[in-house]
Amino acid sequence: MVELERRGIPTVLFTAQTFVHDAHRSAASFGLPGLPLAVVPLPFTNQKPEDVHRMAEAAFDQVVAGLTKAVEARAVERPALEERLAYEGDDLLDAWGRLQADFLKRGWGDGFPLVAPTERAVAAMLRGTKRAPGDQVAVLEPGFGIATVEKLAINAVLAGCGPEHLPLLIAAVRCLAEPKMYIRNKAMSTGPHAPLVLVNGPKGRVANINSGMCALGPGAPSASNTVLGRAVRLTMMNVGHTYVGVSDMDTIGSPVKYACCCAENEAESPWEPYHVTRGFPKGASTVTVHFVYGICELHDFRSTTPEDLVRVFATAATNVAQVGTGLWLIGRRADPRSRTEEREHNTLFICPEHAQIFHKAGWGRRQIQEALYREARLPFKTMMLNKEPQAMAAAHPELGWMHDHPDLPIPVVEDPGCFDIAVVGAAAGRGTYFYGAGEPVTLPVED
Amino acid sequence: MARLEILNPVAKTVEHSVAPARRPPDLDGLPIGLYWNMKAGGDAALDRTEALLRARFPKATFRRYTGSVGWLMRHCTAEDADRIASEVQVVVGTTAD
Repeated sequence: MVELERRGIPTVLFTAQTFVHDAHRSAASFGLPGLPLAVVPLPFTNQKPEDVHRMAEAAFDQVVAGLTKAVEARAVERPALEERLAYEGDDLLDAWGRLQADFLKRGWGDGFPLVAPTERAVAAMLRGTKRAPGDQVAVLEPGFGIATVEKLAINAVLAGCGPEHLPLLIAAVRCLAEPKMYIRNKAMSTGPHAPLVLVNGPKGRVANINSGMCALGPGAPSASNTVLGRAVRLTMMNVGHTYVGVSDMDTIGSPVKYACCCAENEAESPWEPYHVTRGFPKGASTVTVHFVYGICELHDFRSTTPEDLVRVFATAATNVAQVGTGLWLIGRRADPRSRTEEREHNTLFICPEHAQIFHKAGWGRRQIQEALYREARLPFKTMMLNKEPQAMAAAHPELGWMHDHPDLPIPVVEDPGCFDIAVVGAAAGRGTYFYGAGEPVTLPVED
Repeated sequence: MARLEILNPVAKTVEHSVAPARRPPDLDGLPIGLYWNMKAGGDAALDRTEALLRARFPKATFRRYTGSVGWLMRHCTAEDADRIASEVQVVVGTTAD
């Protein structure tokens, strides 16, 4: 709507009451804080047409007023941002408690206790990178926050990171800001989009990122994983301005959003490291960020052949309640500003034991991807249960014939390459299937 | 009494500014755009809105739009926005939430 206003076209946008704050904030981010809204009590989704009609009727005067009453041009109001904050108490612990309370009140924390980013702690953190504190790493949406090295260091301290984690955080933030990531969509959605952070290469080992037992945590072996994953979330909040109820409109949320980070178990993988499949040299250090929704276990103690394992894995992939399943039928995630499009990927963490079963049979990643692509299919009528037929007609008019074949098996992803595979974990036949949101982004870690 | 001084974790933002479009005093006789991003239910809201607009502004004309890219939500490209701006004089939008 803002783009139409920019072109001189008056607009008004239907908005549910619960999203009014979000709509104002979003419009302000794009430079038009007074964008007219026609506010209705509920979202139109999951409503019967007659109920939608009643809401539209009740908001009709707002529609007319939004199109005909002058909209005041005004600057976006931002509270002054103090560079330093001070808390007083009977002792330092008391002052620290006031810091926690104030941060929660302002919406700046994730709910867990935060480490105080004192000047000394931030200075120590900054020794983890050769970059200058004022260097701009990125501009992070949805709030268009300026991600300087210093701001990332402050959030890294908040999360409990050490200086060895800062280069990994910088790489992760660069991934978030890549146009291909379309973070605006994932950060602001009603869906539980969580940044899965996968580290490859020697710098991950230096930073003690766990790739083995309980790599996704919790526990002491994964302490680095926890704080790095947490720093990514806190950076999304305090730098990207992805604040719950303001710009993060997640319906239920997810524990995966707190921290979801590990390294690939390159030592126990029979294949080349994951980042090599993404075009990087074997000795490089990289960070991959893939936004994911939920997690499903890939448990199988019984199978001894690749074919049997793939049949089990395919049951995880054929879950139509997961938004990405078969989503290719109604188009591709797309950011019209950067003209990027994403296919919906899913990430599999295959445990070393299962990886060996594939490897001994001569299978690499490509064979697994192709077998899973063939095996993970659902009837067309099942795939379309939660998809808008008009969206399919717009995205794939050439596939209209499928409506005459409701039982036709349809692949859950667009092509075999939409299954990303890394080897993670310790002993026992249990992997992890991540239902993904769009495509992963991989970038090198710089000093 | 103890004092704990810290550095602020919140980043400054890049600011954008767009002037709102000049509103017409009346919609009668105007070409009106109805934009749906294809989220369920939004089309029904526009159906009812169009009927109400037709009743109040009988000389108005209507065009339906959706974005040319996207998936669950179809988005307007710059070319879409240019085309809409060349064909209608006001737009009612629904993103269904």
